[in-house]
Amino acid sequence: MAAFESQVESTISRWHGIEPPNDPARRLAAELADTIAAFEALRGTLAFEDEPSSFEAALQAAKEPA
Amino acid sequence: MAALVDGYLADLSLTEAADAVAARKVSSLELLKACWANLDKVNAPVNAVIWEEREAAEAAARAADKAVGAGGRLGKLHGVPMAHKDMYYQAGRLATCGSALRKDYRPSVTATVISRMDEAGAYVFAGLNMAEFAQNPTGHNKTYGDCHNPWNLPYITGGSSSGSGASVAARFNYMALGSDTGGSIRLPASACGVTGLKPTQTRVSRYGVMPLSFSHDNVGPLARTARDCARVLTVIAGHDPLDPTSSHEPVPDYERFLDGDLRGTRIGVPTNVFLDGADAPVVAAMEAALKVLEARGATVTRLTLPLMDAVAAYGGIVSRAEAAPIHAEWMRKDPQAYGAHISGRMYPGYALPAAYYIEALSRRGPILRAFAKAVFDTVDVLVTPTIKTCLPTLQETDIDHGPPGTEHKFMAVSANARPFNYLGLPAISVPCGLDPNGCPIGLQIAGRPFGEGRVLKVADAYQRDTAYHAARPPMLDKAGAVA
Repeated sequence: MAAFESQVESTISRWHGIEPPNDPARRLAAELADTIAAFEALRGTLAFEDEPSSFEAALQAAKEPA
Repeated sequence: MAALVDGYLADLSLTEAADAVAARKVSSLELLKACWANLDKVNAPVNAVIWEEREAAEAAARAADKAVGAGGRLGKLHGVPMAHKDMYYQAGRLATCGSALRKDYRPSVTATVISRMDEAGAYVFAGLNMAEFAQNPTGHNKTYGDCHNPWNLPYITGGSSSGSGASVAARFNYMALGSDTGGSIRLPASACGVTGLKPTQTRVSRYGVMPLSFSHDNVGPLARTARDCARVLTVIAGHDPLDPTSSHEPVPDYERFLDGDLRGTRIGVPTNVFLDGADAPVVAAMEAALKVLEARGATVTRLTLPLMDAVAAYGGIVSRAEAAPIHAEWMRKDPQAYGAHISGRMYPGYALPAAYYIEALSRRGPILRAFAKAVFDTVDVLVTPTIKTCLPTLQETDIDHGPPGTEHKFMAVSANARPFNYLGLPAISVPCGLDPNGCPIGLQIAGRPFGEGRVLKVADAYQRDTAYHAARPPMLDKAGAVA
């Protein structure tokens, strides 16, 4: 097992007491590397003047005009 | 109302059925029996139903007819029998949530949306099949059996509101509630050839509805037409003290928006993401639909949507992170009670760092503001395919028994739906054609927050000039079903 997958499984086991229930679980846990890569790709690319702000306020601000 | 004139009760839309009851042209009991007749003829291969309560439904139908006879004021849905995704709590009634883990679960509370529809005169006759805990886009179910597409049985119904889409398509249900966390109303609407509306986040109360992801969960209707969806939304939308996250935004009568006039309506068609890898028949159906909308007076603009990488990255973890704690105890004690594709997809959620989840949530508002300014200053609605490929079969998307990699075909089904959950925007799917396998193709129309009126208006205008929403799956005629 690759180091990353092993680390993910041991983290989940240690923090939650949950073991991989099947092969799809192991495969999809390995794909967390893609999640990390997606977050890495965003670093430094986003800047908002109003950050942080509530989602509910944004719904109101962007809503359909009456 | 040609269907009624011909005596074709099961072909009536929800609004036609409700209006016919109010006008004393048909009884509620006749509607219910028309549903049962088709259910008995075609449900066995479709497998859209988990439980039925016929005696209680018949009593409700007779009470509804008695109320009509008494001449009192009737609700907007008076006398219409309905069945919903089996995750809407009704005190004392079964709510399996599509799972073996809740096969005997009878909640002690009733969902606000069910109470509001009861007050409008509707009643429930069955609980519908669904993905386990609303967690797949296909309709697979390990415990209650896979739901099959009435248009072509080996093909997926879409999910997770699989029985909702299939029962309306198979003409034994006038309308079903679904839930939409990553497309679960729009996908079965698209796959089954019916109309399904995901409202703006916070538009409809979620009290008494099985939770999956409290940031992305939405309640909405699957029915025959946009007008049906408009009527249901008018009944169920609005603030609910039992769900503090529900919006105080006033609720209009959404049917008032349906005037067929698209002059001045600006339609945007994304050139990025939504058509990447799309199949030619799906693109052709969308382009044909755009021509119909242009003929009604709309203008079409092609545009690149901003921030889609962020929407995908952030949206992709919110639901997984929020589902994880809900299921942690069962995942520890009885993980084999889940289908492998359910527990397998939930499992990585337990490794997501809290900082990622908070980043995704804290940027949701700013991203929505920036997206809305960039897009909705230019166009009024976005139009895309609901599912960008021709429908896959149940076998092709069977993670539990398929080879490694099956999960990618499985997840591709919801690719065009998920962005609007993170953005919280209203979106509807309307039928717009058939693929080479005879399975329906859906057109997705999305709008601004609380812009359901405009979204429904565009959908209704399209349905005024097309007949895809009225088409019947061929199996109905082969089975001698009630027309």
